[in-house]
Amino acid sequence: MAHEDHGAIYDLLAARGVSRRDFLKYCGSIAALLGLSESFVPQIAAAVNHGAKLKPAVWLNGGACTGCTESIAQVDTPDVATIVLDLLSIDFMETLSMAMGEDALAAAEAVFEEPGYILIYEGSVMQGFDGNALRIGGKTGLEELDHAAPNAAAIVAVGSCAVDGGFVMANPNPADATGVKPYLEGKGITTPVVNLPTCPVNPEWLVAIVVDVLLLGSLESGAILDKLDDWGRPKYIFGQTIHDNCPRRGHFENGNFVNEFGTEEEALGYCLYKVGCKGPQTYTNCPIVRWNRRTSWCVESGAPCIGCGSLDWVDVGAPFLNRHRDLPLPGVGNTQPGVVAGVVAGVAALGLGLHAVGMKASGRMDGGAPYEEMKAHDRKRMQKGGGK
Amino acid sequence: MSHPAHYREAHPLIFVCTHWINLISMVALAFSGFYIHYPFFANFMGVARGMHFFFMYVILINLFVRIVAAFFVKSATRLGTHEVETDIKNWLPQKLNRHQLGAWLKYYLFLKKDHPIGAKYGVLQKIAYIVTIPLTLAAAYTGFAIYAPFMDAAFFAAGTDWVGGQMNMRIIHYYIMWVFILFTAIHAYLANVEGVAPSRLIFAWKEEEGLRFDADGKVIGGSGH
Ligand code: HEM
Ligand code: HEM
Ligand code: SF4
Repeated sequence: MAHEDHGAIYDLLAARGVSRRDFLKYCGSIAALLGLSESFVPQIAAAVNHGAKLKPAVWLNGGACTGCTESIAQVDTPDVATIVLDLLSIDFMETLSMAMGEDALAAAEAVFEEPGYILIYEGSVMQGFDGNALRIGGKTGLEELDHAAPNAAAIVAVGSCAVDGGFVMANPNPADATGVKPYLEGKGITTPVVNLPTCPVNPEWLVAIVVDVLLLGSLESGAILDKLDDWGRPKYIFGQTIHDNCPRRGHFENGNFVNEFGTEEEALGYCLYKVGCKGPQTYTNCPIVRWNRRTSWCVESGAPCIGCGSLDWVDVGAPFLNRHRDLPLPGVGNTQPGVVAGVVAGVAALGLGLHAVGMKASGRMDGGAPYEEMKAHDRKRMQKGGGK
Repeated sequence: MSHPAHYREAHPLIFVCTHWINLISMVALAFSGFYIHYPFFANFMGVARGMHFFFMYVILINLFVRIVAAFFVKSATRLGTHEVETDIKNWLPQKLNRHQLGAWLKYYLFLKKDHPIGAKYGVLQKIAYIVTIPLTLAAAYTGFAIYAPFMDAAFFAAGTDWVGGQMNMRIIHYYIMWVFILFTAIHAYLANVEGVAPSRLIFAWKEEEGLRFDADGKVIGGSGH
């Protein structure tokens, strides 16, 4: 059986124009991403090769823009990533599946019957409007998630929306959006959730998870859980900041900054800190894995990081071209922290100035007023008690 | 007028030193902090961060030394006297300050004409100085929480989660700087507004004659010019 598969995968790769060498190189990049040494490459290659046993998976869409689907489907020429992702037998996906209506829903139902499938969830969980912000086949999105989650072997929450509500939960969050993990925790459903934030999700990370979970068996062994941080994000992807690995970091240290777009500094590829780069507080490995089939990524292509891999990323990151977020001040609206500080300092300076005028006018500048004979408190007590 | 005498016993040399170190570190931290917040000229980030990461330890060590010294060094606990007691007495409630909070507030709001009786540090002054201790520790906590070598430690990471992430932590750190700036502005104003003798003493360790007081805060001699 294994031998037949062996031929099959290389035929498949060849048919898609991927050489054996490309394949091994790609497995090497997966190994690096998973924090494994080069010696794992043959194991991963063999696993992809033998792993041709399809794992049933269901892709549910919550409240979002479908950008994550786009991100996964952007591969215009099939490559190794698609082949790895093909190992998931995605039996239901509203946006891309051929089947429609009742048939599609029946396919999903069939998967849910049999515990052990992978549930990929894209988009936020919209709890507002009694769950009616999203309806699928006559049910609310919440009902669908409640139904699909308990029997899944694992849930992969793709994109920031699925992690914590993403841009959908940005202030004022009318749909009361949240992420899959916090939602399920509230319901007492304990299916393990692997969180893959960023807006949209990077397909390479889904590939890494598929290899880790399906092919290296880290779900059965439970090893995957040790690789997650407190927020359920794989540490090997979300363990270091963008700033730690940024190719513009030298310019940061030297103090060479882009002050404005369209300037010589920008052309020179200087650091984007002053135009609001959120790289220093954003934990993703974008600079290493990069995007669009490892072509480039935001900062490399000239845009400051907007921090889409952070929790609550819109509210803690906007306005994206400012160093600090805005603070929503009651009665004033969104204000930059520095403006608030400046106003308070101005008022204080004015107060001190006025006070100094008073000190001058009352003749206290030269040594202060004459000392009191006795504390006011003691005097009062003496008057009351008539002595002491 | 009524200038109290300023004798060296009020600020033994070690506290003149800790005050200088404090002032220099604060200026260095606020300047480099402003620069890190928004680099307002080019080619200085590496130096600014180096400065910040150096003086943050200096200020913490200095705070530690100041607190320990309070238990071992003797200093005057009243104005205009050569008599000394263990310095920590200056930081605990003192008889001369009891019931005087209202008097100080009224005095500074021009609702009271004569100068309130007080210990070496009046009620408000003492509170303000003591508050700089938790404030420095808060600057340190929020600072370490956004400092790569420490931010993953559970002690800091838990706080970062609690405030809603690194951006919020940075803003809190930034605001603590502004609280220090306000403190220093008010502090420097009040220290000098009735005459520069206090500053001459704490910076140059120069004495100046003036009124002398007894343990009940009564004037017992000297001249207030
Ligand atoms: C006492 C211990 C302190 C520590 C451990 C500390 C640490 C730090 C660190 C790690 C940063 C970030 C630097 C970077 O990302 O490159 C920072 C930024 C900053 N620090 Fe401190 N600091 C301390 C005290 C202070 C004090 C006393 C002030 C002001 C008086 C101050 C003002 C600032 C400011 C304004 C920033 C920029 C924040 C921003 O906008 O991102 N720091 N500090
Ligand atoms: C503009 C610069 C400053 C001036 C002119 C100044 C002046 C003074 C003076 C005159 C005293 C003695 C008060 C008295 O005996 O009545 C004093 C004490 C003190 N100052 Fe400052 N100061 C300055 C900056 C600062 C800064 C930046 C800090 C800390 C953030 C600070 C914290 C303190 C503390 C804690 C004391 C108590 C000293 C002790 O007993 O150790 N000062 N300062
Ligand atoms: S561009 Fe952003 S991530 Fe890169 S060095 Fe500058 S601030 Fe850091």
